[in-house]
Amino acid sequence: MTRRQVIANAVVAVILVAAFAVFCTLVLNSLGRPVDWSKAWAYRESLWRGWTVTLGISLAALLGSIVFGLAFLLGQRSRLPVVRWTCRGFLEFVRDTPLLVHLLFGYFVIFAPLLSRPLAGIGWDDKVLIGIVLLSMFAGAYLGEILRGGVDSIPATQWDAARAVGFSPFQVYRYVIFPQALRRVLPAIAGLFVSLIKDSSLLNVIGVSEYFYNTKNFISRSYAGLEGYLPLTLGYLILTLPVAWLAHWLERRFRDET
Amino acid sequence: MKLDLRDVTKVFGTTRALDELSLQIPEARVLVLIGPSGGGKSTLLRVLGGLEVPDQGSVTLNEHRLNADPESLQAYRRRNGFVFQQFNLFPHLNARRNITLPLEKVHGHSPEAARALADQSLTRFGLLDHATKLPSQLSGGQQQRVGIARAIAFSPEVLFLDEPTSALDPEMTAEVLELIQELAEAGQDIILSTHEMGFARAVADQVAFVASGQIAESNPPQALFNAPVSPVCQRFLSRVMRY
Repeated sequence: MTRRQVIANAVVAVILVAAFAVFCTLVLNSLGRPVDWSKAWAYRESLWRGWTVTLGISLAALLGSIVFGLAFLLGQRSRLPVVRWTCRGFLEFVRDTPLLVHLLFGYFVIFAPLLSRPLAGIGWDDKVLIGIVLLSMFAGAYLGEILRGGVDSIPATQWDAARAVGFSPFQVYRYVIFPQALRRVLPAIAGLFVSLIKDSSLLNVIGVSEYFYNTKNFISRSYAGLEGYLPLTLGYLILTLPVAWLAHWLERRFRDET
Repeated sequence: MKLDLRDVTKVFGTTRALDELSLQIPEARVLVLIGPSGGGKSTLLRVLGGLEVPDQGSVTLNEHRLNADPESLQAYRRRNGFVFQQFNLFPHLNARRNITLPLEKVHGHSPEAARALADQSLTRFGLLDHATKLPSQLSGGQQQRVGIARAIAFSPEVLFLDEPTSALDPEMTAEVLELIQELAEAGQDIILSTHEMGFARAVADQVAFVASGQIAESNPPQALFNAPVSPVCQRFLSRVMRY
């Protein structure tokens, strides 16, 4: 940076900090009552439990979405046209309708009548399980498209070369196509996983007691405001930032490699 | 090697890349395919290499009759080596790994044995200093030499090369051609297509002229280059030899 740019940078930084401070002061003054963190402290156990449930749902749905994503990828590359069309139709449907609708419709109309009793019979929480499946399917549909784009972007010559050295179809994917395709689609996958963590908050509509649901309860019972929303935001950031950082790090590593 | 092709046809869309092509060669060590671009050389090599399944006809290389089922084609590809015009190294793996990966995963060598074999062929081709470089860090000639090293590391029955020097400048062309000649002199069975007529004459013991999806003429190099019989071959040679 030149000297002028350094000075301009410093000036803009001061202006931005000042503007943010003014904004925060205005907001806090308009609250009309003091911020009382003891309310949040009183609900700490419920909030902590909700956060761990969100963490668990996110991890499970992440793994589930990989399974669904791979299935959708392979389905779209099937040699049987009917499998390809079914996959495409299903993907199009899932991607073009809101997740909220999947959750409400999928839980209350389809899965709950079928599965609630048997699942409760073996002592499982049907809401969590069905929520994870629906979330996995939604993210899996996007992942399937991302992976298909990545695999399609690998030139035909690489398939030739991989077959020429004698790899089996599975080995062609495992050693040649996937390693190259994943490097190309990694940023998109990271974005998808961040969305998935955030979207897990929608599971509150079917009554899963995750972080958002428990925070909402806490807020409505104790008339809290900032004391509820601030930890809520931070709780999700703790989950999403590592994913974003990991993706940036991997992306840089792969870029240096090629 | 012994080669027997009968009425081989391969159609892409409306193009008859191979049109009832027949060729019988009872004994040859180096077979060179020449002919105009788009005449079917590459398709023929891809069929011979087991990368493409002909729509009709029969292909027999040595004792192996090619058939269409994926497993036996894969087994066939495992026995033979294939080198591409555009090198087609795996860009995410370094030069040595390009060679060791198939040795380990396809031919069942231990990592140590694969490494020893890879380093042996890298040394032979003067590439050991570049073993840990990625393909993008190598020159075209070096990439193609790695491609050849990968294809011969497991001692293939037949080595196929599809215009191995067409993407290289004259100096790199020379270094790759020398290498191929060395392999031929060491007794490797080779089938290759090329536009380098001087090289074809020097290295081949049988030359086949491929045009319009058929073999117009097949003879030892002396005969084919000095006294071509078919009109298409005469015209082609008089044109390419003019400059």
